[in-house]
Amino acid sequence: MEVKNISLLGHKDHGKSTLIGSLLMQTGAATKVRIKEAEEYSTKLGKPFEPAFILDSFTEEREQEMTYDTTRAEIKYKDIALSLIDVPGHEELIKNMISGASYGEVALLLVSANKDEGIRDQTKRHLFISRMLGIDKLVVAVNKMDTVSYDEKRFDEIRDGLSGFIEKIGFRRSDVRYVPISAYNGENLVERSRFMKWYRAKPLIDEVYDFASRNEKQMESALRMIVQGVIPSESGELVVGRIISGRLHVSEAVKALPAGFSSKISEITVKGKRVRSAKMGENVAVKLAKSIKIEMRGSIISSAADAPKLTDSVKSKIFVTGRIGGRMSIKFNGSDIPCRAVKVLYGINPATGEEKSAKEVKPLDAVEAELLLSRKLPVERYKDTKELGRFVLYSGKEFVGIGTVV
Amino acid sequence: MIKQELPELEEKSIYVIREAKLKFKKIAALWSMGKDSTTMLALTRKAFLGKVPFPVIHIDNSIDFPETYQFRQELADKWNLDLIVAKSEIKPDMVGSACCGKNKPEALKKVMAEYGFDALIVSIRRDEHGVRAKERYMSPRDKNWKWDYKNQVAELWDDYTSKLDTKGHVRVHPLLDWNEIDIWRYVRQERVPVNPLYFSRNGYRYRSLGCTHCTVPLKSNAKSVDDIIKELEVTKDEERGGRSMDKEREYAMLRLRALGYM
Repeated sequence: MEVKNISLLGHKDHGKSTLIGSLLMQTGAATKVRIKEAEEYSTKLGKPFEPAFILDSFTEEREQEMTYDTTRAEIKYKDIALSLIDVPGHEELIKNMISGASYGEVALLLVSANKDEGIRDQTKRHLFISRMLGIDKLVVAVNKMDTVSYDEKRFDEIRDGLSGFIEKIGFRRSDVRYVPISAYNGENLVERSRFMKWYRAKPLIDEVYDFASRNEKQMESALRMIVQGVIPSESGELVVGRIISGRLHVSEAVKALPAGFSSKISEITVKGKRVRSAKMGENVAVKLAKSIKIEMRGSIISSAADAPKLTDSVKSKIFVTGRIGGRMSIKFNGSDIPCRAVKVLYGINPATGEEKSAKEVKPLDAVEAELLLSRKLPVERYKDTKELGRFVLYSGKEFVGIGTVV
Repeated sequence: MIKQELPELEEKSIYVIREAKLKFKKIAALWSMGKDSTTMLALTRKAFLGKVPFPVIHIDNSIDFPETYQFRQELADKWNLDLIVAKSEIKPDMVGSACCGKNKPEALKKVMAEYGFDALIVSIRRDEHGVRAKERYMSPRDKNWKWDYKNQVAELWDDYTSKLDTKGHVRVHPLLDWNEIDIWRYVRQERVPVNPLYFSRNGYRYRSLGCTHCTVPLKSNAKSVDDIIKELEVTKDEERGGRSMDKEREYAMLRLRALGYM
């Protein structure tokens, strides 16, 4: 069964963990032990049953009613499995949110319809990051509809308040759905709600399913293989790594960048079996015709005729999590390369749209900047080859930003 | 229980295992002779053309089942494993976290220091326990072996190369994405050897294997791998239901892991 990753986004307390708990129960995926544990814990705290406790497993998470780190729950639905990645909604935990969201294919955003809650900065920030990480399908669940008497007007208000922003950051209108729900009461999750007859589209899980089960056709693209290193074998040294795009063939002329080492493929092994060619997604062990004279780890192998360009100047969009500037390093495909920002073209607070000068940029802002690397790397635009167009920025040991190449 | 695509799981695990071996200076794997860590070794053999290129550690408190010891010997010979036995001392009445939370980590700590290992492959899976679901593929432990779960490093995409604290060691979890039923389907597909205790005798079998003090068999008539897969397709019981230490108190697993339990 195919597993599709769904990133769950949204401001804290807008009901992400509760939603997963309710979905696990309604689809029969929660084990008896987990439900019992959650019941016991709710009673212990003197509260009505809290579905979120099925999920939040850390002591602190239950006591403080917040999710600390990403976690996953799997729900079987029709012919696929939805792997819901619950990410923390708290500002200080944004880097955990980024880790979780980076595995997503479809995003499910929760916004509380409650009069005191609604659209928050964090709501928009999560949307911005998920779009930046390459997520292009979005379901917006307007939650806590029970607290506004399942009022259609409140639902419209939230949808209209968000749609402009969502389209501005690059989601296509046809790739976005809005569904009113009550996660706590289980309304409009798996079955259509009798309290919201005015809503005529499908319940939440079906809207998510429709996006998740849609298979986008992979374009035929140029060979790119990420090299993890070299291992010994009876037939000599083998280069191991993963093919991230295109195909690799025996006797093909290839080039390893950034060193520029050229050779021919003489043998390919996949999962212990000798093969004539290997495709995208496969982990290979490759014997080259020439003996290897360079450091292979972190290299990119491509066909000699269609190699990526080497560059030390990278124009990128960066979501800032720390202090950008001074001496930094870029983590890129296993390499760790010193770099600095030569020019910050503009800064923006993604939540408010407020533009900022380079000096005013703070964590949780986004910038467009030019980075100068200390050596040339095979970098490509994110929209062309995802794996060669994204990076993590560090200042010493501190994680200060994630970026994509534009 | 959800069945996932085995070829995809296999690719992901092979990538992580190779990455770990090539990234760290001196790596070892924990091998409990259970189905998960034995599957991890089978995947390692696929990644490294039939070899397991690092030592495997068994933390041995001398009270594992006789079947387990026999299985250890047979497979170590067959797969030519570089086996390190880390002896942990145990008193006859010691059970639960007194042993798993203290004794076993102590024995492991000694071996890690003696050999200077900087990374350890551990075959935990997300679906085993809510706390294990919080783990990353590569997860640092500081020099006191603490897991700083509130401040985990960012792990983006499939780049498991975030900066890690070098003073402690790194736990590598190549099986994080597998479900219990996937392990058994893989055992069937690849004919991975398994400990005979997993199969039903007199109406009982072990679903999760620990040592003789803390593991109890569950009611089951599953006598073959096929039977086990059928059983898991319908069960609503937890895999670790036969492991007493998990039940001691709430959050036992969290405390165990914070203390260094695997």
